[in-house]
Amino acid sequence: MATTRAILVDITKCIGCRNCEQACKQTHGFPLESEAKLSPTALTVVEERGDRFVRRMCMHCEDPACASACLVGALKKTAAGPVTYEASKCIGCRYCLVACPFSVPRYEWTKLAPLVKKCDMCAGRQAKGQPPACVEACPAQASIVGDRDDILEEAQRRILGDSKYVKHIYGSDEAGGTSVFFISDVPFEKLGFVAAPKQAMPVLTANALGDGPTVILVGGALLSGLYWITQRRALVALAEAREIATKRRS
Amino acid sequence: MTTLEKTASRFPRISFWRTVVAVIFAAGLYSMYARFVLGFNVATNLTDPQPWGLWVGLGTLCGVGLSAGGFAIAASVYLLGLERYRPILRTSVLISFLGYCTVCVGMMYELGLPWRIWHPIVMWNRHSVLFEVSWCVMLYTTVLALEFSPALLEKLPWVRVRELYLRWHHSILIALVLAGTLLSSMHQSFLGGLYLITKGRLDPLWYTPYLTTMFYLSAIPAGLAVTIMAIYLCVRSLNARVDMNILSDVSRVIAPLLAMYGVFRAVDLINRDATQYLWMWREATLLFWVEIALLVIVPLVLLNLQKVRENPMYLYWTCAVIVAGFMTNRLNVSITALQASSAVYYVPKWTEFAASLATIAAAVVAFRYAVIYLDILPKNPPQERWIVPSAPAEA
Repeated sequence: MATTRAILVDITKCIGCRNCEQACKQTHGFPLESEAKLSPTALTVVEERGDRFVRRMCMHCEDPACASACLVGALKKTAAGPVTYEASKCIGCRYCLVACPFSVPRYEWTKLAPLVKKCDMCAGRQAKGQPPACVEACPAQASIVGDRDDILEEAQRRILGDSKYVKHIYGSDEAGGTSVFFISDVPFEKLGFVAAPKQAMPVLTANALGDGPTVILVGGALLSGLYWITQRRALVALAEAREIATKRRS
Repeated sequence: MTTLEKTASRFPRISFWRTVVAVIFAAGLYSMYARFVLGFNVATNLTDPQPWGLWVGLGTLCGVGLSAGGFAIAASVYLLGLERYRPILRTSVLISFLGYCTVCVGMMYELGLPWRIWHPIVMWNRHSVLFEVSWCVMLYTTVLALEFSPALLEKLPWVRVRELYLRWHHSILIALVLAGTLLSSMHQSFLGGLYLITKGRLDPLWYTPYLTTMFYLSAIPAGLAVTIMAIYLCVRSLNARVDMNILSDVSRVIAPLLAMYGVFRAVDLINRDATQYLWMWREATLLFWVEIALLVIVPLVLLNLQKVRENPMYLYWTCAVIVAGFMTNRLNVSITALQASSAVYYVPKWTEFAASLATIAAAVVAFRYAVIYLDILPKNPPQERWIVPSAPAEA
């Protein structure tokens, strides 16, 4: 198995041509009109923030909130890097939309059999050795793809080598680390990036879930004990009543 | 008797509440059409930043929470041996069972692909809070159906079958109650656990690692309050005979539970250094205070008055305040406290309200007929003024 793949988006290099959007739509067979926001037919969009262009897409977290939230395991982090969605499992609960710290997944609200839509980092193409469609289409090399370690190293090299860059790789620790990274010369909060918690999101629920077995064991023992006492008291009361009755009779 | 009169007597009388229920059902029918034929975007105001709305907040969170009375009373009677609550046991189990039925029906509206509702049975993700909730709700609804089943099956005309079933039921009853108590404790708290993953987005007045504990602690008094309300209504309008002292006993349990919940909330806010948000002039803070006032402060003041505890009608209205406070809490967690971060202002569409109301109304109607036709509560003999003089038989 190849190592984990990752995408680096260098915001300083993006020229706003939207070729990535178009390539994405072509690959997925969506209508080609450009859209302003992520939608079920726009899995990546280029948003204008001041004089910068910011590409939005699924961050492909290392330990994704959506995958931990999905009750049927339709969303999965694959060993190759992409977070993929198995539509045939989905029941449409939309907990993934609630869970995602980056508000990425989109739902087909207009359909009668609606599914969740989000970028899958072209997992199919990558399995065949091709780069994701959006990366391939980028004429300015603003998006590049590679092994996660190499990509992180490259990002590091760029932000340290040039003083214009903000000294942070967005995605390096957001939500416990992602497989899509952004580097920029404008502070991320000014570009509409959310200040996601710096921890793997599933940890938040894992702690509570871990209490489950304890609740069952301790609670079960406690309740059984209480029932035993109740039972015992009833028996004692009965025996005493019988004793009194026999005494009265004699 | 003319033919017209004869026909008229075959139809139910038109009363205020019957009209209300009919209107709700009609609106509910349209909502059903809107949801299943026209789709989410017509039936709801849900959007990607607000993927869960009224059907989750009211239908699921309130539905499950307000049905907590059944397990609390069953555990008190069977496991703790508090026999004085036995007269209201069947009623509370019935309320819970119907409550969970509304949750399951609500799920059909809420899920995008409801025909796949069985998927969690075979497709497991043990890391998902929702997975645990779905299993607990499935199992506990089964437990409630079994717990309640004798009320139906004892009406069977076949003595042998009936006796056999009731004997079997008796032998598994304690196990059922024990399992029901554990399952309830798990999923009541895990419903709060669903929102643990929204760290950084749920308002700090509500987000706490102890969301699970908060949900559990508030569900029990609210569930008991619903039980009191339902029994009071049975006494008032269905001629049921209940010793009102039992209700005031239940209210004596509710008060310390609410106080404990209030203390927990306060300690938690102080621990997390979130007290600064308590005095900010913003919508979330206002809603927080509405919630705390209705769920904790007002009920505690009222329940402290002997006059309220011992007057069934005052008690009924106090419980109504608790239920309102509880609903405010659940809707705050699931909707309002997430709105600042999602930057959308969600107001449910009328069809969302209608669908939820129709489901609840159906449960209320089912409850009414169960109390009338089954042995749920002992009834007074019909009183003079309620006896309708029957028409003389025709020759």
